[in-house]
Amino acid sequence: MVGVSPEQNSQVFSSETRPVRVARRPRLAAAALGLIAVGGLASIASSARAQDAEPVPTVAAPPSPATPPDQDLTDQDPTVQDPLHGFNRASYGFSMGLDRVLIGPIAHGYMKVTPTPVRHRVSSVVYNLGEPSTALNDVLQGRPKRAGVTTSRFLINSTVGLLGLFDVAAKWGLPSHDGDFGQTFGRYGVKPGPYLYVPVIGPLNFRDGVGRALDFATDPVGIAGGGYTTTFGATRLAVGTVDTRANADNAFRALDDATDPYVTVRSAYGQHRAALVREATGKTQDLPDFDDVPSSDPAPASAKTTPSATQ
Amino acid sequence: MMNAQPTRRLVQLALVAALGLGALSQARPALAQAARDPQAEQFVQTKAQRVIAVLADSKQSVAQKKATFHQAIDELADVPRITNFVLGKYARTVTPDQRQRFASAFRVYAENVYQNRIDDYHGETLRVTGSTVRKPGDVIVNTVISGGQVGQPVAVSWRVLGGGASWKVVDVQFKGVWLAITQQQDFVSTIDNAGGNVNVLISQLQRDAQRPVVARQ
Repeated sequence: MVGVSPEQNSQVFSSETRPVRVARRPRLAAAALGLIAVGGLASIASSARAQDAEPVPTVAAPPSPATPPDQDLTDQDPTVQDPLHGFNRASYGFSMGLDRVLIGPIAHGYMKVTPTPVRHRVSSVVYNLGEPSTALNDVLQGRPKRAGVTTSRFLINSTVGLLGLFDVAAKWGLPSHDGDFGQTFGRYGVKPGPYLYVPVIGPLNFRDGVGRALDFATDPVGIAGGGYTTTFGATRLAVGTVDTRANADNAFRALDDATDPYVTVRSAYGQHRAALVREATGKTQDLPDFDDVPSSDPAPASAKTTPSATQ
Repeated sequence: MMNAQPTRRLVQLALVAALGLGALSQARPALAQAARDPQAEQFVQTKAQRVIAVLADSKQSVAQKKATFHQAIDELADVPRITNFVLGKYARTVTPDQRQRFASAFRVYAENVYQNRIDDYHGETLRVTGSTVRKPGDVIVNTVISGGQVGQPVAVSWRVLGGGASWKVVDVQFKGVWLAITQQQDFVSTIDNAGGNVNVLISQLQRDAQRPVVARQ
């Protein structure tokens, strides 16, 4: 149960969700990502389908004592579908290496020269520019009230909140919420599909990868700002990327404590996305009983017979 | 960059919208909540706040904090149950000896993880916002942690098991991620990758525990 502080954990999520709206790549990259995702979907659809036979963990049902233990494991790790794990692990390793030599140092430099309160304001501006995209998805999800909240937040924070520097709306009883196309798909029953670790961009599943590409393509602020070739667009991309990485710094440090960081990221990402979709469907999580230990043992060897590697 | 007239109108519009929506959101809590458990809520309010307070207490030395933290964790969390849980399917197959060595390695590892991050805590406060009874004796308590180093208030849920006045936390959730479940995935994968050998995980935890604290950037 240990590993991440509240603050860190909020940042684990920033690292996973914010890139949706923050670290926007050029259109071309978005289109390429979309193609990869769609092409991948087509070619792996059959294997994905087979694994989809298992109940989706995001869906709530009354806790059932009759649930087979095997399903409990799936329930606990919604991202257990990882047919591309060979590629994904390599991609994860590459991305972490790049972070070590390039993106991480830039973020650390930024953190060194700017005090925390200033960085919070930067995050606030970056987040504010993502609100129109959230509002669009609120509408697509058929939730006018939430769309109203998001729109009001954007209007208030862009004006009274000085171009998003301050989240005045939250103080006025309009708390923020996240929204993106992946969540919208989830609301209408699209399953996450296989896990995908896209180099540099990070953890995704097929549903949310397609969603991400659509987020890029339909982002109102991105369109109004003239894409990434304008000064505004390029600045937003650069600032957003550094801000995201800086916010995720504690999460990156927490990963050093994981015994299998790749799986930790996969599990956290899957749970987080499932929770975001539950937020949209209004369903509650179906947690297995805590003491239910899965009985099936697909592990290659029995642990009892291998006492070797101890010190 | 904008002339005054449209800006003012925009503000007015926003204010009107905000007020209207505010009124709507006020009406919401009236909706009946699923069964709550006040005792479980009280437990989390007291004990979880205590752990946070220990970490945030600037008057104590780091050594004092570690000792108090160790004790506070025992009051808050069901350590043996969590220890069993994070082994996942391997909880069934470990030998008593392995179980015991894992338990002590895990405890040290878990406390180190937090203690290395003591700097991250400064005066956060925890407020219970509600709870959901999953079934009697199995309750999810919802809280919001704010202040201190937290930029935005963070919603945190605590899964507590027990009854009456006796409760223990078994898992904690931030933004959808359950820590014990994630830890279980991490450990089970590590054991899987070692061909099912739990000793490999135990050794790794023992190694990690001896690792020097990484300097903060």
